[in-house]
Amino acid sequence: MWNMFRGKPSSREVAKGRLHLVLAHDRVGLEGGKLQEMRREIAAVISRYVPIDLDAVEVQIETRSRATELRVSSPLPARGGG
Amino acid sequence: MGRAIVITSGKGGVGKTTTTCNLGAAIAQLGMSVVLIDADIGLRNLDVVMGLENRIVYHVVDVVQRKCTAQKALIKDRRLDNLWLLPASQTDDKDAVTPDDMRKLVGELKVIYDYVLIDCPAGIEQGFKNAIAGADEAVVVATPEVSSIRDADRVVGLLAAQDIPTRLIVNRISAHLVKKGDMLSQADVIEILALELIGAVPLDEHVVASTNKGMPAVLEGKSLAAREFSRIARRMIGLETEAVRETGGGWFSRLGRALGLSSATAA
Repeated sequence: MWNMFRGKPSSREVAKGRLHLVLAHDRVGLEGGKLQEMRREIAAVISRYVPIDLDAVEVQIETRSRATELRVSSPLPARGGG
Repeated sequence: MGRAIVITSGKGGVGKTTTTCNLGAAIAQLGMSVVLIDADIGLRNLDVVMGLENRIVYHVVDVVQRKCTAQKALIKDRRLDNLWLLPASQTDDKDAVTPDDMRKLVGELKVIYDYVLIDCPAGIEQGFKNAIAGADEAVVVATPEVSSIRDADRVVGLLAAQDIPTRLIVNRISAHLVKKGDMLSQADVIEILALELIGAVPLDEHVVASTNKGMPAVLEGKSLAAREFSRIARRMIGLETEAVRETGGGWFSRLGRALGLSSATAA
């Protein structure tokens, strides 16, 4: 429920968003530091095959219902274009 | 053979004991025999919420240590003929009871009584493991708050790992606050926890007054919370198939506001 006059999300929406994030991490049991370590290692593996910007690789844990998934996203350079 | 249901939550203070007390009384009102077990060893509370604190002679630790039989330790409710309480001890020895003890005890009681409701302590340590050991199913109580839902989610995971079927009660929900956008709705909580909802109990100051007196709210008349506890009891024993009402909007919330429930205090 968005407050149309202030344009800010309601505290209910904020609570929902915070819960989705917190639970995703709780369910996997990965503390913050471990997730960053995994991100760096995944970026390093990708860079062995494609030249990429290591810092642009992002990992996210998302939860929907009771299923949790890991999303890795990385911009890939066009061949020759760089 | 009866059914054993553990009432749990992870977080403390969300209404487990009040829920156990009211569901027990409501199921007994429907004619079933019910035993309530206070599994919170060292911090017993179900006796005072039930108003039976002056009648305790033996407790659950006496029973598992074979100092007396379960039958002898049970306290019969004054108001309902078919409701009994097995109180916790006040000793601080958390290892006085093991999951095996509980499994055996609950199994014995299920032979005699229709329902065994187990009031689980807060947390996910030994007391929790004991409380869920003998349970056929679980009810997770959560209030519509981030901390309560987070803890409930941990508990849901632990119950799933033990293959214990689990349903959800959303407690102390305020239709007024949900409508204002300042409280998670029961639909939000269901979506996040992905559990089947068995009831949504409104925030109701009558419950505070009932607890003060040591009287289950369901035995005190028709407050909104009492009505919902009675409906949950009917659903638990398979009498009512009517879906749980959505809070916010409709006559339900209008009535709640008319009765001033939106400003009711949380216990």
